[in-house]
Amino acid sequence: MSTTRKRVYGYLAEFKSASALYKGAEKIRDAGFRKWDCYSPYPIHGLDGAMGLKRSILPWFVFFGGMTGTATAFALAYTTQVVIYPTVVQSKPANIFTVPAFFPIMFELTILFSGFTVLFGLLALIQLPRLNHPLFASRQFHRATDDGFFIAIEARDPKFSPNGTRDLLAGIGGANIELVEEED
Amino acid sequence: MAHHHVTSADIAINGDHLDSSKVSKVKSIALGVAAIGTVVSLYLLFLAPEKIQGTYAYSWLYAFYLFLTLSIGGVFWVLLHNVSNASWGTSVRRVFENIGATFPWMFLFCIPLLTPHVQHYLYEWMNIHRAAPGDVKEYLHHHDHLLYNKYWFMNRTFWYGRVAFYAIVFSGVIIGLRKLSTDQDTDPNPGTWRLLKARYHSNYPLIIFALTITFTGFDFAMGLDYTWFSTMWGVYLFAGAALNSMAVGVLVCTWLKSKGHLKHVAGPEQFHVMGKLMFAFTVFWAYITFSQFFLIWYANITEETKYFLIRNTGNWNTAMYFLLFGHFVVPFVVLLQAWLKRNPKLLSIVAIYTLCMHALDHYLIIIPERGISLGKINPEVFGDIQVSIPGAFWGDIFAFITIGAAFVFFLLRALGQHSLYPNRDPRILESANASN
Repeated sequence: MSTTRKRVYGYLAEFKSASALYKGAEKIRDAGFRKWDCYSPYPIHGLDGAMGLKRSILPWFVFFGGMTGTATAFALAYTTQVVIYPTVVQSKPANIFTVPAFFPIMFELTILFSGFTVLFGLLALIQLPRLNHPLFASRQFHRATDDGFFIAIEARDPKFSPNGTRDLLAGIGGANIELVEEED
Repeated sequence: MAHHHVTSADIAINGDHLDSSKVSKVKSIALGVAAIGTVVSLYLLFLAPEKIQGTYAYSWLYAFYLFLTLSIGGVFWVLLHNVSNASWGTSVRRVFENIGATFPWMFLFCIPLLTPHVQHYLYEWMNIHRAAPGDVKEYLHHHDHLLYNKYWFMNRTFWYGRVAFYAIVFSGVIIGLRKLSTDQDTDPNPGTWRLLKARYHSNYPLIIFALTITFTGFDFAMGLDYTWFSTMWGVYLFAGAALNSMAVGVLVCTWLKSKGHLKHVAGPEQFHVMGKLMFAFTVFWAYITFSQFFLIWYANITEETKYFLIRNTGNWNTAMYFLLFGHFVVPFVVLLQAWLKRNPKLLSIVAIYTLCMHALDHYLIIIPERGISLGKINPEVFGDIQVSIPGAFWGDIFAFITIGAAFVFFLLRALGQHSLYPNRDPRILESANASN
């Protein structure tokens, strides 16, 4: 009755164990796919290597975020305690050698800024939060949070082909292969 | 990542033994240097002109305590491995057992420090005790109230008792644990009981460890100036000891791997963990060192500030700044890289660097006290109180080489005695396949 247009998201295949998922991931990696992902109820050691994932760029964000925190804290403490209102305590110097008193603040802001960069950098890199995901259209996909191991290959991958990819997934042990379509 | 999965076929059934013919040359050189150095040192400590005796007493204490911390740290990593039920480290545990096994031998080098002759130049509180007529406590009550209050801890009987405690009890800990571990290598039916026994007999020794690292620090280093005290002292020395025995462990593992040992069982994953622990203890050292400095700086109490005043007078000031950047900032930034920690050669370079900084750290703990104490004891021989005594650093280098050679010798000896990894440990495969 309705004439909703559907767009193909990609193939979803279920694997029977973490080990089968791992071995399947290695095959897909070697086949040269780029736009695909693994779904498992728990983290699997070494799966990033099996998927051929590169090291995340996040540590660099955090490094420079942390450095920004150090510099901010130093500027804040130095400006207020030395430049604007020199605070002399027990005849300790009010100049660059006051810096030991600033170290706790510099340490704390380094941690705080690093923490913020981890959280928001991570959210940006994994594109969260989002309201929906095309894979939620699948009836079996909810088992990825319980006892299901899945691999989804997206249709926008240059190597994707309606028959070839289905055969590939079937050949490496994928079961319940499903063409997931998202509502447009 | 896609490395070979290690199976029991890869584990040497009778152990991975160091080929003694290949190391015998290094071992004999080390033994020769240590033996000749010790004989010369005994001459310098007891028979040489008084000026040399006095300055060399500090050199000897410096080198002795520097290398002792490495041995103590080796025991710490064994204890920690056992109590934390860690599996990653089973393949490198023997290396740390061997570093720890040098403790009973390295402790022998404190024998000169037990003689009143050498103590005379190092520990002024002992001089006051020895010079006291009649009852020492009664005398101190009237003449030196600080030492009177500290009498319960700082008296010669208790001091010798404590030294005996470190020598006997702490040696007993590592000898016992190492024997338990090495007996497994030849047991046809090893089982898991040693694992549980080692874990049980590593918990209370952690307390013995804490007492040893803290109070050797108090007795040998902090006692140089009886008026000074710091409650951070023990943990400060612990941070340096743990960091640098890990650095020694990294060097030993890299060396063994370059000789074809530890094949299959220690790879990038194990080096990565060891590198992470070095990184953690670099930060911990900085945290503790700064905490000690900060509390003293803020409180500004005369007895406490003198430690830093002495070490920021003259050229010591440059060395202190160098320590701040060299012992913390540089290794912190370098060890942040994950890829570097997985590369044994690069990690070894960092380990050598860290050990150099440890030598500087301990130099700044012991040596700045020399010009002051000796100037107080006998100004006619040593000159008035001064920042440093000219020419005395040659003795420091000599003592460092002597005791360093002994450390190398005893470490190589320990490595050659048994298999280089616990080949029959039930968790050796889990350790070899560890991933982090």
